[in-house]
Amino acid sequence: MRRVILAVTGTIAGLVALLSFKSHVPSVPVAATTGSGSSSSSSSSSSSTSSSGGQATASGQTTTVPGEFPQGSVAKNLPAGETAVDGNVANTAYGPVQIQLIEKNRKVVKVAVLEQPANTLHDIQIGAFAFPKLISETLAAQNGKIDAVSGASYTSAGYIQSLQSALDKAV
Amino acid sequence: MGTVVSFDVPAGAGEPRGEGSLGQAVRWLHWVDATFSPYRDDSDVSRFGRGSLPLADCAPELAEVLEACAAVSERSGGYFTITPGGKFDPSGYVKGWAIERAAAILTAAGSAEHSVNGGGDVQCVGDRLWRVGIADPLRPGRLALVVAGRDFAVATSGVAERGPHIIDPYTGQPPAGLASLTMVGARLAETDAYTTAAFAMGSAARDWAESLDGHEAFAITAAGATWQTSGFGAYLG
Amino acid sequence: MTSTARRSGPARHSGAEAYPGPRQAPAAPRPGPSRRPQARPAPVQPGNRPARVGPRGVLAVIIAGAVAVIALWWHSTPGVHGLGSWLTGAGEILGLLCGYGVVVLVALMARLPPLERGLGTDKLARWHAMGGRYIVSLVVAHGLLIVWGYAVTAHTGVVNETATLLTQYPDVMMATVAGFLLLGVGIISMRAARRRVRYETWYFLHLYTYLAIALAFSHQLAVGASFVSNLAARFWWSAMYLTVLVLVLWYRVAVPLISFRRHRLEVIGVKAEAPGVISIYIGGRRLDELDAEPGQFFRWRFLTRSLWWSSHPFSLSAAPGSDMLRITVKNLGDHSQALARLQPGTRVFAEGPYGAFTPGDSDRGVLLLAGGVGITPLRAIFATLPGHVTLIYRASSERDIVFRDELDAIAAARGATVHYLVGSRAEIGGDPLSPRVLRSLVPDLDEQDAYVCGPAGMTSAAVRALRAAGMPRQRIHSESFEF
Repeated sequence: MRRVILAVTGTIAGLVALLSFKSHVPSVPVAATTGSGSSSSSSSSSSSTSSSGGQATASGQTTTVPGEFPQGSVAKNLPAGETAVDGNVANTAYGPVQIQLIEKNRKVVKVAVLEQPANTLHDIQIGAFAFPKLISETLAAQNGKIDAVSGASYTSAGYIQSLQSALDKAV
Repeated sequence: MGTVVSFDVPAGAGEPRGEGSLGQAVRWLHWVDATFSPYRDDSDVSRFGRGSLPLADCAPELAEVLEACAAVSERSGGYFTITPGGKFDPSGYVKGWAIERAAAILTAAGSAEHSVNGGGDVQCVGDRLWRVGIADPLRPGRLALVVAGRDFAVATSGVAERGPHIIDPYTGQPPAGLASLTMVGARLAETDAYTTAAFAMGSAARDWAESLDGHEAFAITAAGATWQTSGFGAYLG
Repeated sequence: MTSTARRSGPARHSGAEAYPGPRQAPAAPRPGPSRRPQARPAPVQPGNRPARVGPRGVLAVIIAGAVAVIALWWHSTPGVHGLGSWLTGAGEILGLLCGYGVVVLVALMARLPPLERGLGTDKLARWHAMGGRYIVSLVVAHGLLIVWGYAVTAHTGVVNETATLLTQYPDVMMATVAGFLLLGVGIISMRAARRRVRYETWYFLHLYTYLAIALAFSHQLAVGASFVSNLAARFWWSAMYLTVLVLVLWYRVAVPLISFRRHRLEVIGVKAEAPGVISIYIGGRRLDELDAEPGQFFRWRFLTRSLWWSSHPFSLSAAPGSDMLRITVKNLGDHSQALARLQPGTRVFAEGPYGAFTPGDSDRGVLLLAGGVGITPLRAIFATLPGHVTLIYRASSERDIVFRDELDAIAAARGATVHYLVGSRAEIGGDPLSPRVLRSLVPDLDEQDAYVCGPAGMTSAAVRALRAAGMPRQRIHSESFEF
């Protein structure tokens, strides 16, 4: 019985200690000033990670924000014909979110994340799941409302899954 | 004939007089199916094709269709054919033509803006910027491109959805090289037929499409590369 | 080194039989098997013993791993703010510790030879049981904290958040099933439940832990916040799991199979020693390659229709020979009665040798303290251990003493002493294993090593008495049969 008490109290004490130490780290959102764009630095540690992830914040502190999409403005060094447009900062319940669209021939070809909540590991985890999905869906939807879809002939079964049906439903 | 037709009538644009005009358009499409479907033994097309019904006894529209098909066939150097695989089947023209006529029914009923989409080929009517997405044949569910125009038709032929169903009449095989080809023109019947012919040409389509008046083309190759005719850029965005 | 034992498995049985030791004449003839094998005991070479790792070393490695795991969380976490974040953070830490902990638990039971020799099977089983209780509790806490923490962060109810987690996060459903499996295994492993369940049933149910671990693995990498985009962490974590899997497959599956083919163990004969006590002679090829030492045991599986599915640990009752092994079994039920009917030629599937109860060479004298069934391994040691040896044999009645003549013969041949402490406490008027008695029987107690073997209660009482009599803790070695 004594060992049980020891194990329980020891575990709780350890958890509280670990969490308290981490709660002193100030939360610096991964931010960039609109238009100028902050520079992307290489990741601070775990350099063997497959996806990029470094971001120099305004205060000079580097945080590794993992993900598979560009973080931070890519407005500099754009190839010819591409322009960057920054969206407004959206203040969500979990923190600010800001997106940058790269357009070419009035078609969105790339999406960069300027700001995303990264205060806790959970934020990062959700962001790593959600952003790639949202971005690919944005690119697929091609910035805007379309009225119809033209594609090779489909059967009624194919129609159900087709984009046309999605449009018809949306109306 | 197994396709699904969607009607899009934006509200407040000179609505067709009552439900009647939409019903009329739908009845028109059913009649086209009954008359022109090669999958129905009792359709005029099937009986004419078997030789059991002389042209004079068929619906007058069939003669009209045959004449138009002959013109397209000549223009396309034989790549458009009404006897694909040896069997009489003018569907390559009828599909677009039926949709174009359905849209005309709505126009006659008073609608100033509407679009009709039959199985992926669209006729847009009205002085409004219609935006039509082109399905990406290599990534189902995604769009490759969006074209926009007024009073125009968009037709796409390809290997997506039903697999290769267009045969190169000279080789008897599906054309290699293109995953899909889209054409934009004024009227769907002609545009659709030209699209079918162009797709059958495979890599030769580009030059031929360039030579067409009043039509622009955009294609996606099986490898994922794209090409477009010189005037196609006007329809982008 | 002391031990406490609890009844948590089949008791090892032992009895005795006249065994011609290395320095004595054969005992009086008794009815026995038609051929009396002349076994040559394989002496233990000093300084040549297989590798073993002590408890402190193992504990150090386990703790180092836990620290590394916590460091991974530390490194991945930017900060913790607010209740939701605290709860989730605690859940993440516990989750990592659980994922690591189950690997440790499996490794303890993987029958790794250095662990088996260094800690001994009973200590490994005790650590596994204690660790198992702890880890199952952590798993439950991890699940609850994560659900609660996510719910607070997302400002939704706990029920909603549970549904979201189960349906939208990859592999969480499997992990939840795994958690319930572990909880179930934990519940039936509780003492109250195990008493009601047959050993074989409990054993097969316990195997579901492997399934649980497999089910839970994928969610660790798919959802584990510390692994998101940390390729190195994912690599090492997977390597850890793969390593332990390979070790388990090798030492628990492959090695016994290889040994079965190489040594071709089979029953040579069965001999009745005394009422209710039998010895089983087992022969084979190249048995010296087994490296078995006196004091060790094997897990025996006799391949007859009724016996093949159960495996029981019996210790060698004589020093292992190069072509013969001998175990002695006390009749305690159906299983033992079936053993008495074993026919010569029956194939035997044996896993081992196991056990850390193996005295090495020592300049000091050695005290062997046997209680009841504990006499079996001690008799093998008594017959072979060189040097100055004293045997104290505690039994509650004269009837329970086995090997009496043989022990006397061994003692006479090697000039050792055997003390029989027989009788219940009432008859003796107190505990015969008191410090005073021990000191009187063995005057230089504080200079000797002691090896104690017997039922749980007797062993712990004896160890306490030895300590009180002045023997330093690290010179007391004990093994209990129940694990």
